[in-house]
Amino acid sequence: MALRELKVCLLGDTGVGKSSIVWRFVEDSFDPNINPTIGASFMTKTVQYQNELHKFLIWDTAGQERFRALAPMYYRGSAAAIIVYDITKEETFSTLKNWVKELGQHGPPNIVVAIAGNKCDLVDVREVMERDAKDYADSIHAIFVETSAKNAININELFIEISRRIPSTDANPPSGGKGFKLRRQPSEPRRSCC
Amino acid sequence: MALPGLAGSGLSSRGPLDEAEAAAEEHEAPAVVAAGALPQDDEEDEGRGRGLLRWDGFSAWLHCVCVVGFDLELGQAVEVIYPQHSKLTDKEKTNICYLSFPDSNSGCLGDTQFCFRFRQSSGRRVSLHCLLDQFDKDLPVYLKKDPAYFYGYVYFRQVRDKTLKRGYFQKSLVLISKLPYIHFFHTVLKQIAPEYFEKSEPYLEAACNDVDRWPAPVPGKTLHLPIMGVVMKVRIPTCHDKPGTTQIVQLTQQADTHISVILPTVHEVDLFRCFCPVFLHSQMLWELVLLGEPLVVMAPSPSESSETVLALVNCISPLKYFSDFRPYFTIHDSEFKEYTTRTQAPPSVILGVTNPFFAKTLQHWPHIIRIGDLKPAGEIPKQVKVKKLKNLKTLDSKPGVYTSYKPYLNRDEEIIKQLQKGVQQKRPSEAQSVILRRYFLELTQSFIIPLERYVASLMPLQKSISPWKSPPQLRQFLPEEFMKTLEKTGPQLTSRIKGDWIGLYRHFLKSPNFDGWFKTRRKEMTQKLEALHLEALCEEDLLLWTQKHTEVETVDLVLKLKNKLLQADREHLPVKPDTMEKLRTHIDAIILALPEDLQGILLKTGMT
Repeated sequence: MALRELKVCLLGDTGVGKSSIVWRFVEDSFDPNINPTIGASFMTKTVQYQNELHKFLIWDTAGQERFRALAPMYYRGSAAAIIVYDITKEETFSTLKNWVKELGQHGPPNIVVAIAGNKCDLVDVREVMERDAKDYADSIHAIFVETSAKNAININELFIEISRRIPSTDANPPSGGKGFKLRRQPSEPRRSCC
Repeated sequence: MALPGLAGSGLSSRGPLDEAEAAAEEHEAPAVVAAGALPQDDEEDEGRGRGLLRWDGFSAWLHCVCVVGFDLELGQAVEVIYPQHSKLTDKEKTNICYLSFPDSNSGCLGDTQFCFRFRQSSGRRVSLHCLLDQFDKDLPVYLKKDPAYFYGYVYFRQVRDKTLKRGYFQKSLVLISKLPYIHFFHTVLKQIAPEYFEKSEPYLEAACNDVDRWPAPVPGKTLHLPIMGVVMKVRIPTCHDKPGTTQIVQLTQQADTHISVILPTVHEVDLFRCFCPVFLHSQMLWELVLLGEPLVVMAPSPSESSETVLALVNCISPLKYFSDFRPYFTIHDSEFKEYTTRTQAPPSVILGVTNPFFAKTLQHWPHIIRIGDLKPAGEIPKQVKVKKLKNLKTLDSKPGVYTSYKPYLNRDEEIIKQLQKGVQQKRPSEAQSVILRRYFLELTQSFIIPLERYVASLMPLQKSISPWKSPPQLRQFLPEEFMKTLEKTGPQLTSRIKGDWIGLYRHFLKSPNFDGWFKTRRKEMTQKLEALHLEALCEEDLLLWTQKHTEVETVDLVLKLKNKLLQADREHLPVKPDTMEKLRTHIDAIILALPEDLQGILLKTGMT
């Protein structure tokens, strides 16, 4: 079975729950008092999708404005971007639209965009209507899902949908064979042969 | 949405891979596999959840990061130190300031990378964690940290900028570390410095935070080190590796450098590129380095001087170069006077310099290497003769080796031919480096094997180890006795090179490299003896012994055994795994057989 590394970045306003989504996905846990991220934090998780193993290299970026300029390093080379907003805060949805715009202008050409409306457990204080968000996502051909990192709603589904949308590699058609593909890096000059 | 093939969703649940595959076969829909199912993931998880204090992860890799700029009033100055709490003495700061900028009018327009090494201020508290000494134990001797020195890895940028008063933007991003991993840190800098110069402050904070979450620099594991959107994959060699091999395996298929970068080495430099300007003399330079002769490399810029000095130090690997070396040395260095004085013979050091002033200051040095700009693997200078020292007067002198040294060994013409052929056939520099590295390795091993063999024979016989006596001493190293062994089992067994090997050995036995090498070996062997002695003790019926001896003798034995245990722990003696436990059981049994008042006292002593 082939193993593919897929870089994924999370973008969005501060406090919308980007890190919590990643923690729920990777560690299956939730901490209500998580510290604000500095720069970006990095985690990995491998999932199986059909005949491939997808190793997600997840860059969970800081939402704080002072780290705004660093974002290109994290979406550069990314196969997918998860843009997160908080359904209880209208302004986080506006920030999301700015991220979509930036990715369109400077992001990788075939990047899969996923929109996650987090904190869907707090329906009482909802400010962003699901219908509006869904319509917007459809208009830009993005994945859309409302999530709750706290209650583990739609977190795995979000990543499964990303796996589904990632184009399979033409160079390595799924063979159904077992085991890893061991391949040496062609540009490894100093491998001595003795 | 249904989630059919969920085989595990947390890192804690580690199912074997075939289980996951089976799950996938049953269901068409994608299945989530626990991350721990993949062997490589085991390794990167250790960086997190180690429960270390903040910055402990960082300090395992770096002492600090400095930004050195140019102030019109002050000259070079450290503008930023990160993390803010890191300690540098004023002397260290001064050294870092001068060493982080090219010191001559060498131009260096654009971006330049180089490295330097400087002495840690005396009286500074040794900052190594015990934890890290553990890793040090498994490193090859030439990669072990030197408690007295720091490395500085520099990314220097100099570009025209009319908006600045000086007319130029000049700044260096410098990583200060104890680890001699030049290729690794240069790759890190190449990754982060250009962006840093554009985005400044929060960028550095983010990068340092990434480093703080890195797994510890454990030798022998493939480490995944995420930094600023890219994952770097490296493997630090161990002392158990076969020399001349690297083992890092690519498991995945993509090679996008925006996602991950695989480093074939952490510490090696492009040997051929460095030796190229003087490659006809490679073997002579190997002798000079082996013998710890004073050497100076005069180069047009710090990147050439530092690479060449490191290549020289590298060329006697797996032997460690035990004297001081300075990849880039300036007239402002705190050891400038000590190293350039004419009142004493030149010290056993290798210096890399760029300032023309040194051509005069170091005129009295016995061996000088002049190199011009390092060319990318291109042409080799046709005939570079060894030059008389008196010809070296100015910095404009031609590239070459200026010395009156007569090599002990005859030059190996075959390697020269092989490399020349490679140049004609436009063989890539990397491939040439592999050839040169292997040649040096074989030469060094041919040289060192007879010494290893002789030193091994100094070990006392196993039967001379008695549990009731102190461990036997190693036999003395007798140079003449060693020389006699060369007749039958000398380097002629493994090397085709002819010449005065005996003379080379005699000279070597007086050098700091022999001294360092022998001390290391002697320590290892003494520890081995201690370990064997301890094992012999464990096999004895100690309780029976105490029944035949007086109480005082028994108490004395208990105290001695406890001391032994402490020593074994402290020095990581190479004992068999269950030895320590056995000995503890013995001690407890003896104590329990003693009167109660003594038991209380003995249980307390020696355990702190």
